[in-house]
Amino acid sequence: MKVLPPTIRENKRYLAFELIAEGPVSRDELIREIFSAAGSLLGDLGSSECNIWLFAFEGMQGVISCNRENVCQTRAAIATVTHIKGKRVNIHILGISGTVLGATKKYLEGVDIFNPEEQSHINE
Amino acid sequence: MARTKFYDLNIHTVPEGKNKIEEMAGLAKHFGYAGIAITNPSNSCKPEKPVVLGGIEVFSGVELKTDNASKLHGLVGKYRQITDVIIVHGGSENINRAAVENSNVDILSNFGSMKDNGLNHVLAKSAQENDVAISFDLAEIIGQRGGRRVRALANFRKNLKLVRKYDVPFILTSNGNSYYDLRAPRELIALARLFGMTPEEATYGISTAPEQIIAKNRPSSNYVFKGVEIVNPTLYKISSEGDEQ
Repeated sequence: MKVLPPTIRENKRYLAFELIAEGPVSRDELIREIFSAAGSLLGDLGSSECNIWLFAFEGMQGVISCNRENVCQTRAAIATVTHIKGKRVNIHILGISGTVLGATKKYLEGVDIFNPEEQSHINE
Repeated sequence: MARTKFYDLNIHTVPEGKNKIEEMAGLAKHFGYAGIAITNPSNSCKPEKPVVLGGIEVFSGVELKTDNASKLHGLVGKYRQITDVIIVHGGSENINRAAVENSNVDILSNFGSMKDNGLNHVLAKSAQENDVAISFDLAEIIGQRGGRRVRALANFRKNLKLVRKYDVPFILTSNGNSYYDLRAPRELIALARLFGMTPEEATYGISTAPEQIIAKNRPSSNYVFKGVEIVNPTLYKISSEGDEQ
């Protein structure tokens, strides 16, 4: 298969995110919930324009890719995710970048994930 | 350029919500808020004292829920001196009306949808005159699916039109009861854009408008009374010294 030349490729944005959840969440469950939320909010047409894809997900962090023109809609769709398999969740977008490397390096590496259990830093 | 400061002025904590103030403040700070207001209903607990917790300002607030308009005015008078933010939980026609006609009220929330007692031109005009902000409760978009969300979005669109026409102050809020209800400022802006708000308007609703509400209720030392403020303290000093002689 021939790879598309760079100028014809779709322009993407990569959204680095963290998941604040009541318990562990699997990749498949997260994908299903994001697509369901996008389908519900934006419909099939809107979702296809956004081209949302869970690029990577490890631990409680990950990267979602989407079309460059539809970052705002994607963000809104992701914000409407409230439950995954009965567990309450909150997806927080840490930052947006034009490359996967940029998103990972700038927003994910060395960043503490917010843990509801440990609130010691604020009680000090 | 200084970074925009974001505020969410409608947050619930224990006993109304699920998390403690420290926990909500911690998450809000993590999300990039500069301040939040704890607005638990007046009938469930006393308003909290304003504090600064680990770099985030926590304003004291109260949400007033009542069916009686004259009782509402009484409650507003009672809480005005001790809280930074007064929110009226509207719904019925007379409460909505009473709230926007009382300039001591800061925010009117949950005022109902289109068919039953929603925002209309009369309320909007009155809200503008008395500087009462209208709350866009984005939890309705976050938490609901299907028909209800369709109605919520349509209703927001209509309210936005009125707000623009009559130049009414408004705020955006995630109306959070727990960790999982709170949304980061940029997410709220993205949600507000779904129903046609421009990024500038959304930023106003989450930053400028709440800032003005807080500033109004925490007058600086140069404040004299509504509309009068000492802009040049040195001039004032000279003239007052002159008076003594």
